[in-house]
Amino acid sequence: MTQQNNKQFTKPVGNADEINELLRRYGVKFGIYKNGVFNEQFFPFDPIPRVISSEDFKSIEKGLVQRVNALNEFLFDIYHDKNIVKDGIIPENFIYISKGYLAQCEGITPRNKIYSHISGIDLVQAKDGEWYILEDNLRIPSGASYPLIARELTRIAAPHASSENEIIDNRNYARLLKETMEYANCGGISAILTPGRYNAAYFEHSYLAEHTGSVLVQNDELFVEDNILYQRTYSGGKTRIGVLYRRIADEYLDPLTFLPESLIGIPNLMEAYRSGNVGIINAPGNGVADDKGIYYFVPKMIKYYLGEEPILKNAPTYLPFYEDDMKYVMEKIDKLVIKDVAEAGGYGVVFGRNLTKEKLEEFRKTIIAEPRRFIAQEVIDFLDLPILEEGETVMRKADLRAFVLSGETTKVWASGLTRFSRNPDSFVVNSSQGGGFKDTWVLK
Amino acid sequence: MKKLNFSFSTKLTFDDYVHDHSFALRIIPPDTEAQKILSCSLNISPTVSTKQTVDAFGNNVTAGYIHGDHRFLDFDIKGTAEVDSTKHSSSLMPCYLYQSEFTAPDDGLIKFYSELKDKYNGNAPEKAVYFSDILSDLIEYKKGVTTTATTAAEAFALRAGVCQDFSHILISLLRMDGIPARYIAGLAFCDGETHSWVEYWTGDHWEGIDPANNCPVNDDYLVISMGRDFRDCAIDRGVMFGRYTQQLQLVRSLLT
Repeated sequence: MTQQNNKQFTKPVGNADEINELLRRYGVKFGIYKNGVFNEQFFPFDPIPRVISSEDFKSIEKGLVQRVNALNEFLFDIYHDKNIVKDGIIPENFIYISKGYLAQCEGITPRNKIYSHISGIDLVQAKDGEWYILEDNLRIPSGASYPLIARELTRIAAPHASSENEIIDNRNYARLLKETMEYANCGGISAILTPGRYNAAYFEHSYLAEHTGSVLVQNDELFVEDNILYQRTYSGGKTRIGVLYRRIADEYLDPLTFLPESLIGIPNLMEAYRSGNVGIINAPGNGVADDKGIYYFVPKMIKYYLGEEPILKNAPTYLPFYEDDMKYVMEKIDKLVIKDVAEAGGYGVVFGRNLTKEKLEEFRKTIIAEPRRFIAQEVIDFLDLPILEEGETVMRKADLRAFVLSGETTKVWASGLTRFSRNPDSFVVNSSQGGGFKDTWVLK
Repeated sequence: MKKLNFSFSTKLTFDDYVHDHSFALRIIPPDTEAQKILSCSLNISPTVSTKQTVDAFGNNVTAGYIHGDHRFLDFDIKGTAEVDSTKHSSSLMPCYLYQSEFTAPDDGLIKFYSELKDKYNGNAPEKAVYFSDILSDLIEYKKGVTTTATTAAEAFALRAGVCQDFSHILISLLRMDGIPARYIAGLAFCDGETHSWVEYWTGDHWEGIDPANNCPVNDDYLVISMGRDFRDCAIDRGVMFGRYTQQLQLVRSLLT
């Protein structure tokens, strides 16, 4: 089974309806806001696993470790000496115009210099077998709990699948996460901060808290006193928190440092953090490194900080900011995919081929007016994966979110979230765009 | 060089009890090339334990937390500083070149700048003086028309505002012109309140200019905090819980 080719694996494992029913019962949902209304949706599960050969995984693993290590070096550099800018590798304005750059974080050194403890790196495999990085998610990447629980339920629905196939057990995610949290801990208990049950990933917050032995907290039970973060206990006492895996965005984290109107943050958390009294997972300010404009420079970072050749390729990317690239983008716009660097979750992604002539012309003007706002990429003809739709096997575009955990060493979780598009014409697989997910098997 | 005695006090009063009150004060003046703090004492009432840190912009931050019910928060500082405005700080954070929340221009301010930029050539100090001159003719110093949440673009559209607004507009113009600039909150003119002015980067060091009074900064100015705009410099920020509907803030400052 070690030479298992993905293409051969087209059979469902277990009964899809049964597993989806179990997922419903377990409350595996994600919520999205549409037109200001909060809706919870089930994240449809597809029973045909994605299979990654051991050989493929080893090379992805090496490439991801290298990439995340370079990104962590970059974050330290940007919030301290900024050598990569001084040495002319990245133009200064790419850093400071980025919404993810937070001047308030200048000079802060997180414990062990780790900024991105949990990195969600999105990859696709092209038809020729080559893997490409689509984007880095270094703020609060979500999704690890879905493959975990799907595997758990598959084990119930199809008990033989694990013994018949040489699959690496993925139940170690909670242990990897726990170790990562421990390594960032500045003394005290571990906590996961959720904005509450009306959050898109609330299911995941509670699941991860349960499985890492952390307390699941909301801001109203936390306070900072003498620059130490505490949880108020039921008896009126207080328990010190040493590491906070927060699932709320940077801007809302501390109303006394960031948005004053934030009601979900913790006042003076940044003072406790700056004083080295609490670890924050992931570090505030990481957005500067997963900005779509900075993505272009990641292979250069790998060479600059590590002196190594990048193992994993970026999708061929053009920055209209550079004159030559602008020329190319203007000429080939109908063949490229254009991304708005400020958007996420599959929003702000436009395929030139889907636009009318007039719209293309309009879009060209927008790009010329704001070159820094966009990146353009070649459309990668990525692999279709089989999914089951009303009893039929159909082929759909899929990507892979790999989870990389940085603690004492950098480790790649031998699993990941495979998301697919349910629309046969769509290349956008984000769950917020109505996609589904499947289990990801990495073979031994 | 001049020796300044400074004092500054704020009384925050609520019309009902508040609790779980967290605050961050940027009130202890920083030691810089241009000002040496010889002595400084801070008093806070009700009594509360606090911690000091230095933020990204070089400001002294005093953070505290009052758990129980209270109806007021008073704090005051007193001290002595030696100010020498011929000395300059020479470390530049690159972010000061880029527009920030309060200084980001709108179409009106961009248009104003683009009509202005070709009328005058000069180095950074000359540009700063030129922009400040233009603003003092164009913008009326008027209390009550703007708030602490007013942006440069909004104040410019009103053609009126207070020192904070003059500073934001000048910073916006300087940054559009490629000159790094920062917001200063401090004490000057003994007018009983805090003042605000601007520092711009000459290419070599920081230099102060007071756009609200359209004059250079001299030894009678004491810096309390600095940053990209007002948001980074707020002398007190706080979050509290309770059923209060009003808070009253009284500020007194003295510089001699």
